[in-house]
Amino acid sequence: MKLVDVGKFGVGVYNVGGSLHAIVNYCSHEGAPLCEGLIGGTNETAPDEPGGLRRVKDGQIVRCPWHNWEFDVTTGQNLADPKRRVRTYDVDVDDGKVYLTA
Amino acid sequence: MIIDTNVQPHFRYNAEIRRHLPAAHKLRSIPDVEQQWYQAPGGNYRQDLYGEHYPGSDPETVARHLFDDAKVDYAVLNPLTRGNIADYLLNSRICAAVNDWLLDRWLEPDSSNRFRGTIRVNPEDPKGAVAEIERLAAHPKLVQVGVPMQSREPYGKPMFEPIWEAAAAHRLPVAVHINGGNGVDYPPTFAGHADTYPGYAAFMPLNYFVHMATLIIEGVFGRHPDLRFVFADGGYDILTPLMWRLDTFWLSMRDQTPWVDRYPSDYLPAHVRFCSSAFDGPTDPGQMQRWMEFSGKAELLMYGSGYPHWSTSLPEEAAGGLDSAQRDNVLWRNAGELYGLAAPAEGSIR
Amino acid sequence: MTTIERVDPHTQHDEIAVAIVDTDVHPMPVSTDVLKSYAPPEWVDKIWPTGNAVTPVPHFYDTPDSYKTNSMRVDAAPPGGGFAGTDPDYAAKQLLLDAGVSIATLEPMCDAQLPQAEHVLKATYNDWLADVWLDRNNAHGRWRGSISVSAQVPDLAAREVERWAGHPYMAQVLMTPQTRGIPFGNPHFDPLYAAASANGLPVATHLMGQTPFELIPLYPVGNPAHWHDFFASWPLLYVSHLMSLVFDGAFDRHPDLRVVFVEGGFTWAMPVMWRMDRIWEARRADLPHVRRRPSDYVREHVRFTTQPLEDADVKQFREYLEMMDLGDNLMFSTDYPHWSYDAPTYAINRFPAAQRERIMRGNATALYGLPSTVKALPGERPAVDVSFE
Repeated sequence: MKLVDVGKFGVGVYNVGGSLHAIVNYCSHEGAPLCEGLIGGTNETAPDEPGGLRRVKDGQIVRCPWHNWEFDVTTGQNLADPKRRVRTYDVDVDDGKVYLTA
Repeated sequence: MIIDTNVQPHFRYNAEIRRHLPAAHKLRSIPDVEQQWYQAPGGNYRQDLYGEHYPGSDPETVARHLFDDAKVDYAVLNPLTRGNIADYLLNSRICAAVNDWLLDRWLEPDSSNRFRGTIRVNPEDPKGAVAEIERLAAHPKLVQVGVPMQSREPYGKPMFEPIWEAAAAHRLPVAVHINGGNGVDYPPTFAGHADTYPGYAAFMPLNYFVHMATLIIEGVFGRHPDLRFVFADGGYDILTPLMWRLDTFWLSMRDQTPWVDRYPSDYLPAHVRFCSSAFDGPTDPGQMQRWMEFSGKAELLMYGSGYPHWSTSLPEEAAGGLDSAQRDNVLWRNAGELYGLAAPAEGSIR
Repeated sequence: MTTIERVDPHTQHDEIAVAIVDTDVHPMPVSTDVLKSYAPPEWVDKIWPTGNAVTPVPHFYDTPDSYKTNSMRVDAAPPGGGFAGTDPDYAAKQLLLDAGVSIATLEPMCDAQLPQAEHVLKATYNDWLADVWLDRNNAHGRWRGSISVSAQVPDLAAREVERWAGHPYMAQVLMTPQTRGIPFGNPHFDPLYAAASANGLPVATHLMGQTPFELIPLYPVGNPAHWHDFFASWPLLYVSHLMSLVFDGAFDRHPDLRVVFVEGGFTWAMPVMWRMDRIWEARRADLPHVRRRPSDYVREHVRFTTQPLEDADVKQFREYLEMMDLGDNLMFSTDYPHWSYDAPTYAINRFPAAQRERIMRGNATALYGLPSTVKALPGERPAVDVSFE
């Protein structure tokens, strides 16, 4: 994750499987610096797996450093309640430079 | 119409249950009627009901008090069972004996067709509980399954799920009521025993929340769309603050229990109902209407007198302060929908 | 809309107005060795066994990804190393400077299985806290402390209260609510309540550890399996203690006692007050020792800290708080540096405007006898005036 000092809160740029994604560094819950949270995967229901869980979406889910709300960096959506989204930015790379579009 | 969803009928005397016990269990000692750790000083029941009969033990008296005096159209009978018994198999026989007694003394002879009943089962004996539900579910006057509030484990835990599955398959709600007929009575508050009766009575009904929260978080409601629970001792005022808490932390905890796929409070309308009690509701009646809108309680609450308890409440007391739609919901509409009860043919809708 | 008016940031102001009081912050010793240095030598091996005996770390319930987060804010680890909450300077930067807190009450968390050991452990924490946080790193005077005591030995707890009473920065007494089956209203606690009341010190309670046996109490209907449903029902422990304080007559025996329920929610107080009032009215003969209406005791004797705030619809939430009318009894808290931290900026707007000043500042100021101004930190943008409207 690269934290870019732009805008009021900054923007975090993530490389997910070779493609770049950017989200605002501000959690829609209480305003935590979202991009300082751990990036990883999440669990989905899998009744046939031991423990009923399966790990998915590795490298794609950032958890807010405070309350651990899960956000998909590729969509900005909160996994539990998609209406609790964070702002995303288009990322373009041109000639070694990274461009963020609001 | 008025539906009373919480009435406790009683045996006339301790030994009466023995008529209904199987031969193999007839010589077992069992606790007396009214094995309560915390009895209300002066007696658990309305003072005027002590006298010729044990309170709540005479069908004609009960019918007169409910149907004539209180103008109730239907009463759901949910009998108590006996104390703590270690032998869960014996406990199940006691539940079955109570069920047979209920049919024999209260439901079959009721030609007015206004009493309904409960299939009491023992959650510590899941196989026996399922068998009892299968035995009696087809009876048209048995409208719910009944289990105690007291338990070693909250009802969302997996060992109980076959019981709820059987109840849901027969479209029978499960009523949870402070009771005997189980194997355990842990200290009734989170901080230990209560030293006073009011200290006990104020807290004990609130334990429903743990049962309910586990039914949601363990995924039981999610796996059984037709399952409904009735928390028959009231206590629904703490629903709002604690469900707000359960909802708030769902966003943090989702990945540990991802089968919970919606806000926990979204499970309430389809799965949870409450009986009213004399201890619930704002002390300022002016707040009642607005209060009932929080957490959608107007859709969840059903009038329950608690007869013959000392705190027996009348329909007008339960409906106090409500607007007319809320009043209808509480006095008959929610219970009518839950138990499949329509206005009696020759009665009037009040 | 709450505003804090700023003055020229380049001018170093000595004193600034107290704007926000934070009533729940968790400091930790930077290492066990540092903590041990405050313990009586003969107790060190008993409380922190070494060699073949160990001090295992318990986790009955675990918070999200806590193997990585240790239940802390991920962004609260001091840059110089160490655990979140171990560095007073970094805590001052994040909480006082960045978050705008003026004064914070420090509440260490610790417990031990055996009564004597727990008493010594609590006293050791008090010595450490007083030295590191209330003296050596408190030139700005903005930290307050708690006198930790063992609920298992109220007589020794009372002595510990006496030892610290009068300390300029110890603001309250702190004990666990996990009291092994003895509710707060029980006369068992009378010596502690008497000492606290006599010295004008509120008694605060906060969840301590998840160490084994009965320290996580067996719920009346058994325990949930997940942190999620455990945490949602956990306020019922405070409800149980509050009902005992009222119905067992503790407030009648101790008219000057003030109790603070920390991190257990507060919205439950309204329905619980109704419930207690209804039962008291119906059963007054059972409670001859309870002279007043239960809700009156709550208003006079009880305070609640606000974190963690429920994330309900804000209009509904404010309306609920207005109905509840406990604007004199709530005290803002962050729970820094724990993961379920509430930011002051988030919290302020959750409260009805007419209650904000009391919740964010006034109630704690009154309860703990706090000043109206404090020393500014270097680089701090001071508030000359604070409007909570």
